[in-house]
Order: sequence, then structure tokens, then C-alpha cells
Amino acid sequence: MTAPTRTPEQTPGSTALVRLVAGREISTRLRDKNFIVGVVLTVVLLVGILGFQVALNSGGGEESRLAVVGDSAQLGPAVEAQGEAVGLDVAVVELADEAAARQALEDEDVDGALLAGARPELLLNDRDSTMEAVVGAAVSGVAISQQLAEAGVDLSAVPEVEVTSLQGDDDAAEQQQVLVAIIGVAMLYGLLILFGQFVAQGVVEEKASRVVELLLATMRPWQLLAGKIIGLGVLGLAQIVLIGAIAVGGALAFDLVAVPGDLIGTVVSVIAWFVLGYALYAAVFAMAGSLVSRQEDLGSVLTPMILLLVVGFFIGIQAAAEPSGTLAVVTSYVPGLSPLVMPVRQAAGEAAVWEVALAVVLMLIAIAAAVRVGGRIYAGALLRTSGKTKLRDAMRGGRG
Amino acid sequence: MLEFDGLRKSFGDIQVLDGVGFSVRPGSMFGFCGSNGAGKTTTMRIAMGLVVPDAGEVRWQGRPLDQQLRRRVGYMPEERGLYPKMKVGEQVTYFARLHGLDAAAAGRASAEWVDRLGLGERRGDPVEKLSLGNQQRVQLAAALVSRPEVLILDEPFSGLDPVGVDSLAEALLDQVRTGVPVVFSSHQLDLVERLCDSVGILARGRMVASGTVDELRRREAGRVLRVVVPDAAPGWAAALPGVRVVSEQAGDTLLDLGPGTDDQTVLAAALGTGRVTHFAWREPSLVELFREAVAAPRTDEEVAA
Repeated sequence: MTAPTRTPEQTPGSTALVRLVAGREISTRLRDKNFIVGVVLTVVLLVGILGFQVALNSGGGEESRLAVVGDSAQLGPAVEAQGEAVGLDVAVVELADEAAARQALEDEDVDGALLAGARPELLLNDRDSTMEAVVGAAVSGVAISQQLAEAGVDLSAVPEVEVTSLQGDDDAAEQQQVLVAIIGVAMLYGLLILFGQFVAQGVVEEKASRVVELLLATMRPWQLLAGKIIGLGVLGLAQIVLIGAIAVGGALAFDLVAVPGDLIGTVVSVIAWFVLGYALYAAVFAMAGSLVSRQEDLGSVLTPMILLLVVGFFIGIQAAAEPSGTLAVVTSYVPGLSPLVMPVRQAAGEAAVWEVALAVVLMLIAIAAAVRVGGRIYAGALLRTSGKTKLRDAMRGGRG
Repeated sequence: MLEFDGLRKSFGDIQVLDGVGFSVRPGSMFGFCGSNGAGKTTTMRIAMGLVVPDAGEVRWQGRPLDQQLRRRVGYMPEERGLYPKMKVGEQVTYFARLHGLDAAAAGRASAEWVDRLGLGERRGDPVEKLSLGNQQRVQLAAALVSRPEVLILDEPFSGLDPVGVDSLAEALLDQVRTGVPVVFSSHQLDLVERLCDSVGILARGRMVASGTVDELRRREAGRVLRVVVPDAAPGWAAALPGVRVVSEQAGDTLLDLGPGTDDQTVLAAALGTGRVTHFAWREPSLVELFREAVAAPRTDEEVAA
């Protein structure tokens, strides 16, 4: 046996090394029970929110039940329509005769019973002015249209009112988008902190276990950093896309949103801001992680970054109430805060295209700076495995 | 040839390396000795590109070691480093891939080395569950798995029990037989003496001695004479011209003879005291050579090439 000689072509290039590192990050996390439990819990939470929304929409406790005896085919829909107009959810139950209706009333199966016929009668346990008005209007409406039809009046000639909102968008739909954006920003905030910490912990783990020395003997610091950030980023992106897909799918399936296109737009903008936010925070968290050599010390260097995220999150919530307020407008340009504020302003329809573009450009500049400076500090601090490294020393210690 | 040439490095005001140079032939083992803080680890880290030298370079087959060439070097850092939660087999495979093996070859090589180092049954266990000795074996597997052309090992024997030392030594000798130059640092000088074809002693950032153990001996030999004279009065040799008494204990005397001093004069003096039970030039052990070498600053002329 002789020492094998290999041609340089067989040594892996940057792409291959970055991919190897990223692959290790992904497979390690996918086999980490805590991570999987976290993902499942997030999804369960999301499905819970959806379910809650579905329950709210279908009226839940506010529903009134009305028994109709005879002619429920016409009266039923009329009562429901009238109820909807005044904000009362009425469920119509068809019953055979008056006796059954009285029994149902006594058993409190229904809140009221309408005996249809030439002289309609409404039976109630307690007087209920809303129900009386709804039923009254429905009965007279049906009677009028019947009489008109008998008189030969063509009802289709009645003009329908066309609705145009002066605000351009439907206000309720906009409110809905803001709500979606807040939920989205909350997820984005959680995922940024989670994956930012994954990056920092990964960096410290390699430093604390000294494996970094072995790694750096085969690759450059930036390749290691890039692989780590990309690997975890792919996982984070997959998670937020999964959440987005469940949210959109659920909302469409249960008919929760007025304008599905807006919902998808909001979800996409949240995902795009996640990518930008992650790129910035991952670089900064990696830099912070590289400065310490024990997991225990990580908290102290991460706190300022996490505080910034918390501040951004609260401004984002506040921006929902006041999307064109000075605070929201200014912070929606500030790199680091913009991913948490701009999606809310976009959803509220308060951000012009140029504003979004400006925020993205500022963010990209910040990312470039963070990757450059953070990468240099990371490279300089990686092999200093005793205690905390000062920023200035790390900057000097870079080895390119 | 693996050549370390004129390495200089200072950290701040501290000059850690001041012109360190030596070379290792393919298929030979080089023991790197020196007291703590002498600069051994820095020298090895320079070779692995972990520290940038202020001057000098490390060459393999005439080419300066760069990032690409370093992938053909197996390295074991002084502070052991493995991913604690990663499984043994996967970990070794990962390092094989980082050194350029494709997935299939890396898997095969990993299985082979894990088996060869007696860790076959622990392949699926996370490294942190292994004993320190077994972790050391995984570390060695990580260094050997890519079939390196060169091995650079920083304190590979530290923390091993005698059985572990033997099996590691055997593994290294195997590598040497396949033509790999092996450089390792160690404080266990008996081991260095036993295993290494050549030795370098580093002190205060300079190579104070290097060469084969025999060469080093020859330089020191002919100077210290051990004479055992049980009946002699204490201080019997003190008055001899050109002789310095190194130690004397119940007649067991170590004498340092100055240049031109005739050993036969000493023998005659010894016989004059009575019985002589031992009279011989003493072969210094590597430990003594080491002590001698690192003891006092020397001038450049005394540094062997």
C-alpha cells in the first residue's frame, strides 16, 4: 500500500463544503426531538387559532334557534337573511305541527316557534324584540313578494345596489389582512429568535467542543458560517412556508377571509421579510455566538439582539392600530425592525411600493454589512477558546 | 518531504516562534518535544492554516501547504474536538467528506476505520456517551479516515492508558509503513525515543536540537562518565583537573569531563580509592538530552541542523 495521491479536482470546492455543512445542520435538527416537538406545537397552535376563527364565524353561542311549522322552504331562508342583516344568527328547524313546536319550546330546544299560515303566530318563552322584528320582517317580506308575484310584477326588474367603497378597499377585509399580518409577524418574530439562537448555539457548540479547529483545518470560516446559516435558514424557511400554507389552506377551506388574494399576498410578504430578517439576524447572532466559548455565556451577548427583536415586535403590533403613525413609518425603514413592522403596514395598505422597496434596499445594505463585519469577527474569534473575546481583538485576529 | 521553514510568529509583544524549521521524510516519524508554551501547538496550527505566521512557510512535496493541500493532511488538535451529540459513524463520515471523499467512499472508509479502531459496536452512539479513551479513538479515526498523505498530531498520546498508547502507536507505525510522514508532539519522551526516527526539541520559540536520537546522543555523549567506587571517600574526584562532579552519592559518581581531559586519568584516580565496580560513558536518555537542551539559552552555532 502506498500513500494515495489525489488530484486537486477531487478536493471539494466552496459549494460542496457549504452544502456539506448545511446538510449536517439540517439532518441534526431534523433528528432533534425538541425541534420537532416545537414545530408540531406551532402547527397545533395555528390550527387552534384557525379552529377558533371557524367557531367564531359560525356564531357559536350567539345562535338563536327558530322552529318553523309549515312553509319553511320560503320562510326559513327569509328569516335567516333577516337575521344576518341585524347580526343575529338564526338557525331554522322545521317541525311537523304546533304540538311538536310547543314541546320543543318547553324543552328549550328552540328559542322560538313560528306557526306559518294565513295568520302567522310566533311563540316565545320570553319576549325577544330582536327575534320578533326578524320574524316579522321575514314574514311580511315573503307575503309581499308572494302578493307581488301573484299580481304579475316581475321582481327581477328591481335594481340591485352596487357597492363601491371610497377607501378603495373593503375596510373589514383590510382589518382581516392586518390581523393576518400580526399573526404572521408574531410567527416571524418567534422564528427569528428561535433560528437566530440555533445559529448562535451551533457556533458556541463548535467552539466549546473545540471541533471548530478540526473544521477550520479543512475549510475557511466563511464557508463554515455560510453552511450553518444556509442550512438553518432552509429549515426556518420551510417552517414558515409550512405555517403559511396551513394558514392559507385552512382560511380558504373554511372560508375565513373575504379576499383570498390579499391573504396570499400578506403571507408571501411575511415570508419574504422572514428571509431578509433571518439573513441579518443570523449573521449578527453568529458573530455574538463566536465571542463566547460556553453556552452559559451566550445569554449575555444575545440579550441586546433579542431586545431589538422584542422592540420591533411591539412596534409591529402598535403599527396595526396606527399604520401611518410616525413611529410605524420610521421604524418600517430601520433595518432589523423593518421585517416586523413593514408587513403590518403593507397589509394595512398604508405602504406605497417605493416605501417597501426602500426598506428592502436598506435591509440588503445592512445584511451586506453584517455579513462582512460579522463574518470577520466570527473568523477572528473562532479559535479563541478561553473566556469571552473582545470585539476589537476578534476584528484584528481575522485570517481572511 | 514535509518541510517547516523559518516559522516566526508573535502574539502581541510575545515572540512565540523565532525561526522554527525542520523537515520530515516520507515514511518517517518525527517527535516534537518542548516544554509547555514552547510553541509546538502554534507550529502545528500554522501548518494547518489555523494561525497565520509572520514569516516562513510549511511545504509538502515542495509546494506550500494551502487550503487544498491541507485536505490531504490528517490533523489531531491538542484540544480534542468532536460534535458531542453526533453519532460516531456519522461523525467520521462527515470528516471524510470534508476531506473530499464522496458519500459512498466516505461511508465505507468510516465503517472501516471505526471497526479497525475497535469501535464497531459503538458506531451508532453519540460521541459524548463514549469514554475518554474511546473518544480519542474517534478523534484518530477522524484524522485517518481520509487516507491522509501527511499526519500532524498534537499530543496524540495524552490521556491514554498503556493499552491505548500501544494501539495508537501501532496505528501510527502502520501509517509510517505506507509512506506517510508523521509529526507528533508529546511530553512522553520515552515514547518519542521508542517510536521516532527523528526528534526536534523546541525551547523559547527556537529549535534547540533536532536530528535522530542517536545523533543527539552522540553530541552529548563522551561528556558524562559514571564511576561507581564504593570505598572512596566523599569528594574523591573533586581535585581532578578538567573534571566537574555532577553528582555523588555513596560512591556512585557522575563526572562531566572537560575537553581534552583523559578518561584514563580518572580511572587511575578511581582505582586509587579501592574497588571500581562501574566505569562507563553514560548514554544520556532523551529526558536528559531534553533537560540539557531546554535548560539554558544557547547560541545559534550550537543548534544542530
